[in-house]
Amino acid sequence: MTLCFTRTIHSLPFKHPRFSLSNPSKRPISNFLPHSSSKSPPLLRPISPKPHLPLFLRPPASSATFSDLQKFHSWAKGLAFSVGSKFLDSDNGPDTDLLCREIKWLLEDAVDDTSMLPHLGSSQNPNLTGSKLIRLKVDLDDLYSLWNQRIEERRPFQYIVGCEHWRDFVLCVEEGVLIPRPETEMIVDMVEEVVSKEKGLGKGLWADLGTGSGAIGIGIGRILEEGGRVIATDVSEVAVSVATFNVQRYGLQDKVEIRQGSWFEPIEDVMGKLAGLVSNPPYIPRDQIPRLQAEVGKHEPRLALDGGENGMDELLHLCEGSSFALGSGGFFAFETNGDEQSELVADIMTSKSENSFRDVKIKTDMAGIHRFVTGFRR
Amino acid sequence: MAQSLLKSVFAGGYSKLFTSPANRRITSPTPHQFQLQLRINAFSTSSNRSSSSRDFLSLSDELLMDQCEMNTFKASGPGGQHRNKRETAVRLKHSPTGIIAQAVEDRSQHKNRASALARLRTLLALKVRDAIDLDGYTPPLELLQILPAKSTIRGSDVGSQIGPNNPKFALGMKALLDLIYAVNGSVSEAAKLLGLSTGALSRLILSDDSLRMEVNELRALKGMKPLK
Repeated sequence: MTLCFTRTIHSLPFKHPRFSLSNPSKRPISNFLPHSSSKSPPLLRPISPKPHLPLFLRPPASSATFSDLQKFHSWAKGLAFSVGSKFLDSDNGPDTDLLCREIKWLLEDAVDDTSMLPHLGSSQNPNLTGSKLIRLKVDLDDLYSLWNQRIEERRPFQYIVGCEHWRDFVLCVEEGVLIPRPETEMIVDMVEEVVSKEKGLGKGLWADLGTGSGAIGIGIGRILEEGGRVIATDVSEVAVSVATFNVQRYGLQDKVEIRQGSWFEPIEDVMGKLAGLVSNPPYIPRDQIPRLQAEVGKHEPRLALDGGENGMDELLHLCEGSSFALGSGGFFAFETNGDEQSELVADIMTSKSENSFRDVKIKTDMAGIHRFVTGFRR
Repeated sequence: MAQSLLKSVFAGGYSKLFTSPANRRITSPTPHQFQLQLRINAFSTSSNRSSSSRDFLSLSDELLMDQCEMNTFKASGPGGQHRNKRETAVRLKHSPTGIIAQAVEDRSQHKNRASALARLRTLLALKVRDAIDLDGYTPPLELLQILPAKSTIRGSDVGSQIGPNNPKFALGMKALLDLIYAVNGSVSEAAKLLGLSTGALSRLILSDDSLRMEVNELRALKGMKPLK
């Protein structure tokens, strides 16, 4: 039954994975500095780069009766309850509680008038008869398919609704683009702090390398002062189109420029001039990829996760390039896999090319993991 | 000297607030518990003023946040790119008072942090009492602002009435609670001092659930009937 369902839903307009998930060979090409790696650099040109409209931005072109929506709601909850702690136990995936919260969020995005949502669970409502038509942004059939994908395929909730809430933004995401993580929100906090303390940085040029959905670039673009700008880059064409869409949706075109290319390659013209350099590069050690939570390992782009044998390939490359990219006094912040990696990155940056950097610090995320390394170019 | 004495109600019992409204009530409060004097090490960095809950409430979000310990709920595993989980719950512990506020309902940690902070402001208003002197009492502006226009002591320069949905309501609510505590829960006495009829003040108290519960908790302790 699952297989049959899967075939059907793949033909829905919602799901068009442009990258075959079983083909992780598309690696960033490192053009700036020689760095030894066994990466193959084929340039897969995906099809149309036009991003999909997230559910919440679609017009309410469909409708369903209140009682049909109630049926969907109890069916979806039934599926969520059938999961129990199965996913949690197998790969630290979502449990029933979280899935039930996701149903609420799914309906918030799918229903035009969300004021009726609290009444879905109750049997009697004086103001809502079962035959009342509820306007929807997606066909009810598709809503069933989407929730089925969530449970049966472990398709990430954010790809189901086509967006992720990150800081105070709602960013469009889709297959082929890493879903921005809550931890990464802190990079923007760090930049905000630095910009408020170090005069001039807020008016300077920043780069967010491997921007994915554009999250960090957009977050920084919003806090820079008059004259400050961000160049956000990604090697993936899907990421570039999604990031461009997100930048436009927040009207930040004058602040955030999206460029396609690998790491330092698209910013060669501004090397040595940057006021800041930030990145959340792929950092998961390759042998851990097969054991990742299904939502991540089976659905998110390997390009954005796989950091090579020990997860350090891209971080090392960033360390190498940053002394050339940053101007004097420039700030850097990199996200890492945690403890060992952040220590290694901090060591490299501290000892690098006759003390190119000062105030190199390791910063912890909300869960207490040594997640970030920051510092300044001398 | 950045230290002050605050009268704090139910110190340490705040986690109870989050389970359900039914659990809000302390079952056998004693006057001693109620009048517990809590010595507080106020933030010594910002100023030499002694801190009261009014001071906490007038802090900017940023400065109030500086007084808080922030925890996100236990996240298992390595996190970061490894995980797709909306564990965005935020828990703030306000260090000077020990009050805890949390928020889980939104998809974004950022927004949950803002909600938790807003909730903390309400809790500070509800739970941290400052003693006031009833001799020559004049209500502060923030209290006048939440009073209905018919109050005889409310000048026309105060502006329109601020309702419970306005973030500024918390500060006014705090001043009103300070007054009601000072008059030992008597709504009629408080009403006189505010230039209102007892009925009008009752209606104001009943307009906000948390304010009503707080006043009724006090009235129960004093052996008075709850407002309904």
